[in-house]
Amino acid sequence: MKMTVTDKLTLLADSAKYDVSCSSSGSENNYKTGELGCTHNSGICHSFTSDGRCISLLKVLLSNICIYDCAYCINRVSNDTPRTAFSPRELAELTINFYKRNYIEGLFLSSGIIKNEDHTMSLLLQTLRILRHEYRFNGYIHVKLIPGSSKELIHEATLLANRVSSNIELPSAKSLALLAPDKSKEKLLSPLKHARDISLERHNKPISMSTQMIVGASSESDFDILKLSSSLYQKALLKRVYYSAYIAVNHHKHLPVPELCKPPLLREHRLYQADWLLRFYGFSYDEILNENENLDMQFDPKTFWALRHLDFFPIDINTAPKEVMIRIPGLGIRSILKILQARRFKTLSFEDLTQLKISLKKARYFIVAGSDYYRASHLYEERLKLALIHQGGDIIQPTLFDTSIYTGEL
Amino acid sequence: MMVLYDGSFEGFLTLVYEVYYAKLHVSAIVKKMPERLVFERVYEILSDETKATKVLHALQKHFTKERQRTIFNIFLCDTKTHEHSLLEYIRIGFKNPKLLGNITNPHLFYIQTLEKELLSLVHKMYGFTRFEELEDGTLYAKIETKFNILPFLGEHFSKRLGKIPFIIHDMTRSLAFVKDESSTQIHSIASFDAPIYSQNEAHIKELWQRFFKATAIQSRHNPKLQKNLVPLLYRTYMSEFQA
Ligand code: SF4
Repeated sequence: MKMTVTDKLTLLADSAKYDVSCSSSGSENNYKTGELGCTHNSGICHSFTSDGRCISLLKVLLSNICIYDCAYCINRVSNDTPRTAFSPRELAELTINFYKRNYIEGLFLSSGIIKNEDHTMSLLLQTLRILRHEYRFNGYIHVKLIPGSSKELIHEATLLANRVSSNIELPSAKSLALLAPDKSKEKLLSPLKHARDISLERHNKPISMSTQMIVGASSESDFDILKLSSSLYQKALLKRVYYSAYIAVNHHKHLPVPELCKPPLLREHRLYQADWLLRFYGFSYDEILNENENLDMQFDPKTFWALRHLDFFPIDINTAPKEVMIRIPGLGIRSILKILQARRFKTLSFEDLTQLKISLKKARYFIVAGSDYYRASHLYEERLKLALIHQGGDIIQPTLFDTSIYTGEL
Repeated sequence: MMVLYDGSFEGFLTLVYEVYYAKLHVSAIVKKMPERLVFERVYEILSDETKATKVLHALQKHFTKERQRTIFNIFLCDTKTHEHSLLEYIRIGFKNPKLLGNITNPHLFYIQTLEKELLSLVHKMYGFTRFEELEDGTLYAKIETKFNILPFLGEHFSKRLGKIPFIIHDMTRSLAFVKDESSTQIHSIASFDAPIYSQNEAHIKELWQRFFKATAIQSRHNPKLQKNLVPLLYRTYMSEFQA
């Protein structure tokens, strides 16, 4: 049966949706007169799905045909599901039509492995070529580097795309061997290393790269995961690591049973919070967790850290430097900036902070403001814990997501 | 005393002029005579181009580019009563620009917060604006927004859409940003005909709706979160929410 573009889109968007790295932020504005499209450096969400994730890019697979057999994947060769593929031209036209109407910021293209790696990568590149050269499309393109494809093809991808990525998939080599026998850590990371090197030859800034890890399909601790992320950030290899709560779609002897397995959304949320601390708040992974530990479900990682380091507090918000203030639970970067701005003019009290619409719900236990401090509880861990817990639901409800987690904004 | 002006930017600048030269003591600024009885004297400002221009030049001399922008931006927040705070902002700026950062002053904090609110609305609408293709290839978008953000959207989409002519129609204010080969302008729109769409339009819209549905993950279903992120009032012209 021949499928229409509508059918293909339905199927291939469905198979691509588990990949969470959709942010289009962090690229330079690149406006060129008269060309179609331009990227925006803070990332734009064009809609939000019914699960509350940002839609920024047309995220599809070129094809869901795949010769690999990764245990966790809905498209693995051993699954009996309908298969199809876009032609590069169909995809390019779809992108342009969506882009013109402002449905999307651009394209996020990935694919299952059709025939072999090089063949697949060539088809992806063919789509990019049509977009960039024929339509002179200047909007955002994120393309997956197919691990194992040749260096020339990866080279071309870095020329045509705004961002490239390759998913590490699982946090350790052992789990990979168990669940994705066709892949290895070296194989998954080598296209990224290669892309970095060739883009560095051309500019002094490497092309933007990201990766994704599935959380909850294998047995690594959050400590292992954060350690891995932080090593990837430190090598300046990646701009973002995305975490994806494992959603069980297959039965497999090394995987949780689908019927019993709910995606670990809260854990995923905590990992994003911790990742934020790594990237922007100057924390190191071994400050956040000890070896083999998992992130606390009750408290966010910053609060959890504070509870273990009460000797660090209270902090005087009228004098403390920014990097110290950033460690106060309940105060985000926006609040800190307001405080830094306002305290140049007067010594701030609790009252002043409230006037500035800064929530003290959590922070009040950890700060001094002029002659104000919170007298009702002292800095004893147990009492503080109780006080924080009694603040109710929002501490543990994963629905109150910070939206920036998905858009990559501050 | 209470001051009445016509709500235009020119009117407001005239007001600033009067404050300085007629030494008005302002207790409130209104755009319409209040319907309830007022015992205060009401001073009416008549927009005056010469006076307004004088003030404009003074602003350009004494305020940095960025702060001039702030003043214009605040004026785009046309559904808020910001005049009194804006007047204070200007007064303080003339006196000592260094003090403008002092957000422990409630007026200055209000201005800073309002401008952030405007810019965050602008950012949202960069994403939520939806174009439809007309018969002649022009792209046409309708919007209804709390503040007047057409100048922002116009500039943003001029960069994006290359040579394609487009219209953004602010239904609330009956204004339209129109860009074609020869000109770029904001018009006021008295009446308009029902647009005729291109042949492809319905099909593309259907594809978009399909994509929108297919890309959601059922086991993470969370409509409450979705509603926080795209409140209902933004959804009027977003076709993915109509299906
Ligand atoms: S390579 Fe593995 S994860 Fe990717 S589509 Fe094929 S089976 Fe799925």
